Amino acid sequence: MEISDMTFFASFCIPFIAGASIMFAVIAVKYISWLRNLPRKDWRLIAKGVFSMSTLRALWEVVRESLLHRRIFKVDARLGYMHMSLAFGWFLLIAVGWAETVAYLGFQWVPLQGHVFFKYFVPLNGITAHKPVFDFAMDFLLLFVLSGVAMAWLKRLRSRALGMRKTTNHILFDRVALSALWFVFPLRLLAESVTAAIYGGGSFLTGGLGRLLDSVMGEGALGYAYEPLWWMYSLALGIFFVAMPFSRYMHIFTEIPLIFLRHYRLRPEAMEKSYDNFEVEACSRCGICIDPCQLQSQLGINEVQSVYFLRDRRYNMLQQKIANNCLMCGRCEQVCPVGINLNTLRLNSRSSMRNIPHEGRYNYLRGVDRSLGEGRVGYFAGCMTLLTPNTMSSMKRIFEAAGEEVWWADKEGGACCGRPLMLSGEVDSARKMVEYNKSLFAKHGITTLVTSCPICLKVFREEYHLEGVEVLHHSEYILRLMEQGRLNVGREQGATFTYHDPCELGRGSGIYDEPRAVIEAVGELLEPEHTRHDALCCGSSVANTAISDAQQLKIAQGVASQLEETGAQTIVTACPLCKKAIARGATRQVADLSEIVARCIK
Amino acid sequence: MINFGFSISKPRAIDIDRNNLRKSSEITREMPELQSCIGCGSCTATCTAGNLTEFNFRKVHTLVRRGEYQGAYEEMNKCMLCGKCRLVCPRGINTRGVVMLIKRKLGDF
Repeated sequence: MEISDMTFFASFCIPFIAGASIMFAVIAVKYISWLRNLPRKDWRLIAKGVFSMSTLRALWEVVRESLLHRRIFKVDARLGYMHMSLAFGWFLLIAVGWAETVAYLGFQWVPLQGHVFFKYFVPLNGITAHKPVFDFAMDFLLLFVLSGVAMAWLKRLRSRALGMRKTTNHILFDRVALSALWFVFPLRLLAESVTAAIYGGGSFLTGGLGRLLDSVMGEGALGYAYEPLWWMYSLALGIFFVAMPFSRYMHIFTEIPLIFLRHYRLRPEAMEKSYDNFEVEACSRCGICIDPCQLQSQLGINEVQSVYFLRDRRYNMLQQKIANNCLMCGRCEQVCPVGINLNTLRLNSRSSMRNIPHEGRYNYLRGVDRSLGEGRVGYFAGCMTLLTPNTMSSMKRIFEAAGEEVWWADKEGGACCGRPLMLSGEVDSARKMVEYNKSLFAKHGITTLVTSCPICLKVFREEYHLEGVEVLHHSEYILRLMEQGRLNVGREQGATFTYHDPCELGRGSGIYDEPRAVIEAVGELLEPEHTRHDALCCGSSVANTAISDAQQLKIAQGVASQLEETGAQTIVTACPLCKKAIARGATRQVADLSEIVARCIK
Repeated sequence: MINFGFSISKPRAIDIDRNNLRKSSEITREMPELQSCIGCGSCTATCTAGNLTEFNFRKVHTLVRRGEYQGAYEEMNKCMLCGKCRLVCPRGINTRGVVMLIKRKLGDF
């Protein structure tokens, strides 16, 4: 039979065709409007990147992440397999299915439903010669996807079986889409098995199940079930497709443009912009961000995690109390398989939800200068360090021992660095502090800026743009003094330390090794269970204005106990706020890095 | 007159019965712990902004709770949110939350 004489339409295809048309139309409208609203700056980045290696690298990442889900494998192999079998398996079913039609019919145009329901159209068009290799491949791939569906069912019942302590609590709409997706593959299996039983074909899976159904139900009953099964399969597909652009499954397509745009160096910023839509809708609500969240694990708060924040933001139902209840510790961002900039998105949401106060509110800063001393090296203690005088006096001893001339920026009181205001979404207010502090640094002509506070460090490095001034955290500075031989420290015999990575220093600024090197110079370092990228948050983060004192204490106790489990005599940290927080929950001595160095100076 | 470096406030009375306490009660409902303030002034003593200007957190939130909203929003905007007050508060009041709440509630005053 010539292909022009073949039919590739049956009435059961209508739900599928309608669903697919609606889905593609909605997605096209969404993408076009998001792209059109991109700021000019982002368009320039795209133009610059599109004909470069970035495109190839993006393509490779699409294969790795959208199909194979490598990052989820890193979280848990079982979870990775589940996501991979659904994504890569379905993709292969489509790709091999297309190859199958080509093998049967040659390179000719076949309508979409002709590919999708090919097994139905094979006997309809009188094709009797089967291709066992393709039958086997398609059966194998269907089994691959079905194994993922089975694991997804299991995960709903018992998430721990797949390595997740807690999984996402979905809204009704997502549950509908989820159920439709779960039914797609078992219905496909049944429809194809019955087809194989009646018309032959099918390999170990559909063929085998077909023979079984035949022996149980008999030929007549199979004939009755035939059309309804194809109808149900098409309906499940149609429902899923209609729900898809409005549900969590929007991530299936959106992750792909997101990866490309990210490779062209588009990023979310302090203010909401059109690009954010790609990040927000690329969230699959997999819920991997829930387990690392200490607000969940320690306090049992269940509605503020990144997955819920992104969902609420996407559907325009974000509440301030949800946006504000986050430590911004970055533990979720660290594991997010889509690589969404969760902290930045939350910050620009906070920014959009505030009112704009009077321009002159910080006029009192004008002309204030209470700094002390002279020197090329400036020391900015930071507000929190001013409340930990031991850190201050230790730094003073270190500076003296190294013979450093130091300009003390805020010993007698100065302005805040601006980071806490930024973390509350008050970016314009923070700018005033930035300008004030920058003019102060410029006035005193420093070339190195040392700070003891990682919160200040991050904003100095990322927002201040201090040309000609090197910004160092005191851990980096102390290590440098030691390496240059300007600071001689002796080892404390038998002293054992454990180190708590402050969020803003570790995940925030990528400083993990320097504090450890300093500690190892004075004593033995014992690593806690959660360390480096996986370090816990002390709970007192300035980013959270929602939790109470008692809740902060509870988180601190959790952190302190895992640090004490190392058996170390002293808990060391490199952030004044972490020090204060952990000291409240600990039974052992908690010291800043500078303190343990200062007491070992020879 | 001799300048002693300080002056005496003008005498005035706050009549809670006459003040509109709607915003005030909204604030204490959302942040009930504010009512546990003992007025020790630690927040004001450590305040970064208070160190540089006459911003007084204790005074502002106390007046707001009494229904005296005049100028409170403008005053509160002098805060830098650095959070020292929260660390020193003996009652563990979420002072940064209070600042943001007052700013939010009184933004249109």
